Amino acid sequence: MATILVHIALVAYAAAAAAFLTWLVRPETRLARAGRVLLLIGVVVHFAAFGVSLGVAGAGLGVAAWKGGQLFSLLAAVTVAGYLVLDFRYELPVAGAFVAPFTVAVMVPAHLVESNARAIAPEVSHSIVLFVHVGAAALGTAALALAFGLAILYLASEKQMKSKRPGRLFARLPSLDLLDRAGYRLAVWGFVFLSLAIATGSLVSREATGLTFPIAPKQGFAVLAWALFASMIQARLVAGWRGRRVAMLVVAGFVLLIGTYAGLLTAAPALHGTAA
Amino acid sequence: MTLICVGVSHKQAPIAVREQIAVQTDQVGERLRQLKALPGLQEALLVSTCNRIEIFAVAASRASGEDLLETLGPVAAPHAVCRFDEDALRHLFRVAASLDSMVVGEAQILGQVKEAAALAQEAGALGPELSKSLARATTAAKRVRTETEIARGAVSVSSIAVQLAHKLLGNLEGRSILLLGAGEMAQLAARELRSAGARELLVANRSSRNAEELAREAGGVPVSLAELPALLERADVAICSTGASQAVVTRDMMAKALKSRRYRPIFLVDLTVPRNVEPSANELENVYVYDLDDLERLAAQNRDLRAAQVEKAEEIVEQELSAFLAASRERTAVPVLARLRAHAERLARTEAEKTLAALHGLDEKQQKTVRAMANAIVNKLLHAPTARLRAEAGQGPLGDAASALFGLDAESQPAPATEPGAETPGSDEGAVLPLLRKL
Repeated sequence: MATILVHIALVAYAAAAAAFLTWLVRPETRLARAGRVLLLIGVVVHFAAFGVSLGVAGAGLGVAAWKGGQLFSLLAAVTVAGYLVLDFRYELPVAGAFVAPFTVAVMVPAHLVESNARAIAPEVSHSIVLFVHVGAAALGTAALALAFGLAILYLASEKQMKSKRPGRLFARLPSLDLLDRAGYRLAVWGFVFLSLAIATGSLVSREATGLTFPIAPKQGFAVLAWALFASMIQARLVAGWRGRRVAMLVVAGFVLLIGTYAGLLTAAPALHGTAA
Repeated sequence: MTLICVGVSHKQAPIAVREQIAVQTDQVGERLRQLKALPGLQEALLVSTCNRIEIFAVAASRASGEDLLETLGPVAAPHAVCRFDEDALRHLFRVAASLDSMVVGEAQILGQVKEAAALAQEAGALGPELSKSLARATTAAKRVRTETEIARGAVSVSSIAVQLAHKLLGNLEGRSILLLGAGEMAQLAARELRSAGARELLVANRSSRNAEELAREAGGVPVSLAELPALLERADVAICSTGASQAVVTRDMMAKALKSRRYRPIFLVDLTVPRNVEPSANELENVYVYDLDDLERLAAQNRDLRAAQVEKAEEIVEQELSAFLAASRERTAVPVLARLRAHAERLARTEAEKTLAALHGLDEKQQKTVRAMANAIVNKLLHAPTARLRAEAGQGPLGDAASALFGLDAESQPAPATEPGAETPGSDEGAVLPLLRKL
């Protein structure tokens, strides 16, 4: 049942991506509206799938269901929900053209990994800390993915504004000020959740392996990304950095975070399961 | 009944003519009442803007065109254009869609047409025909705006500057605008920015008296040009238009200001030659310098873009026009059909009742059969004429022929319902709707 619901959500996301990308070429309001509605349908069905999945998993907060693939799936759902909130607040259909394809791109590996189901190590599968770790990681990554999207839009828009040669999409991009402010706020939220994810992650690691900070690509990338976001926030608060510099740091930070997820796929078996 | 459009626009008459015949808003009502009093005139609408003075009217015949032309006066007569029916309607659609404007795609005209409609409504000069035409013209105009890029991008230097300020800073509420110098274009841009919600307008000039005067005119605050470094720390948009022969805002000055303003972005608009802002200031982070050439180039690009969209916009107008004309023709055809069927059904019913009265002793089922036979004859007889009249949709001669052949013009009242006990329609529309369902 949960798998069928996830499939329906994926179809809705793909249709939303098509609507938003068409909107980029043909700026008709109904296309953007259709994209939003499809994303909303997708995210509702997607969360329903998680509900069903948790129900099936039963005890232990359902963490037995948190396979690597499902984390990607959760990440996609949270990103879409975050975008819808952002769009409601700032009206950013152009970001939808980034988020919807991103969601589809994240969901496909989710399916691939799920088909290669991994079991959570029994020592930690009933841990509330693991539940918080996964939740914080998903929320943080979703916020940073959105911040990354806005940073890319900022850099593209700023380049056109500086060069004085606006391209075809320039008129549909929001103001630089809005992209900067919204992107920064998302990056701060992302940083907060990332901090929580790293802290709880080290606790999970200690429960499972006895090592608080195991030396592995996943942990290394996460700490690097965290340090980069911390420097960015500090530079903004203290020296007043904004605009292009901040956008570039957000992009770099998110790329490092992607490294974390790549590390997840090759993570220590004790922590993130072994191939079935 | 015919639709007439008489008037002049910027395409036919120079401003010297238009200003003589322009009608002020408070005089439109009175003028419409005068027009309505013309013989044969049923409805009237007066669109009076700085670019056009045009009367749209519904009249009994085209002869009213001459009367309308006379009302414009002898000054306008040599320039005025008279359009009828489809041409007049097409013109109304094109005007509302801003395809006939001096700056194609400008947004104000649709509002002006709507305002003219409201004034005509108030004056009691707006009837069903013009109302329907205006509603469809508005639909066409909205489609043009949403489905084409005809209204995208500003086409004047000052509005380009305002648009770019929005693109950089978003909402201008709470922003600070600095006006350096007294150039006319700069003042215009500053006023536009102020009306877009900017919190303050600082006006600096080499002469403090000029600064005070300008500030008073533009609703700003006079400041001294000597405070320029501090002003650059404060302003979000600076519009430069001094008569200085060298740069007033230098890269170094801006670099220093940037640190103090904690890298808040600033938009420097340079509207003078020689330039007042050192072009290399644009290389600084969060500093955006646009000079006259940049703004002119963008304006020209937008004008080209709009021109490229005109064809698509014209197609939309034609689609809407065709759909509207087809619907109107069908509306025209329906009353003839309705009257014809009502006439035939009335005859059949009368004859059936006569026959039933003559044939005593028929039971209810037999009486019903006689009535059904009469109705069946009517239906079969009218089948072919109905189909042809509908296909003609009021465009051909068959409607008038049917009226003349069956003597329908004499029957002003709609027919009663066909079946005994059925509700009697109280209006033409009431008679038409059930018939339409049958046809």
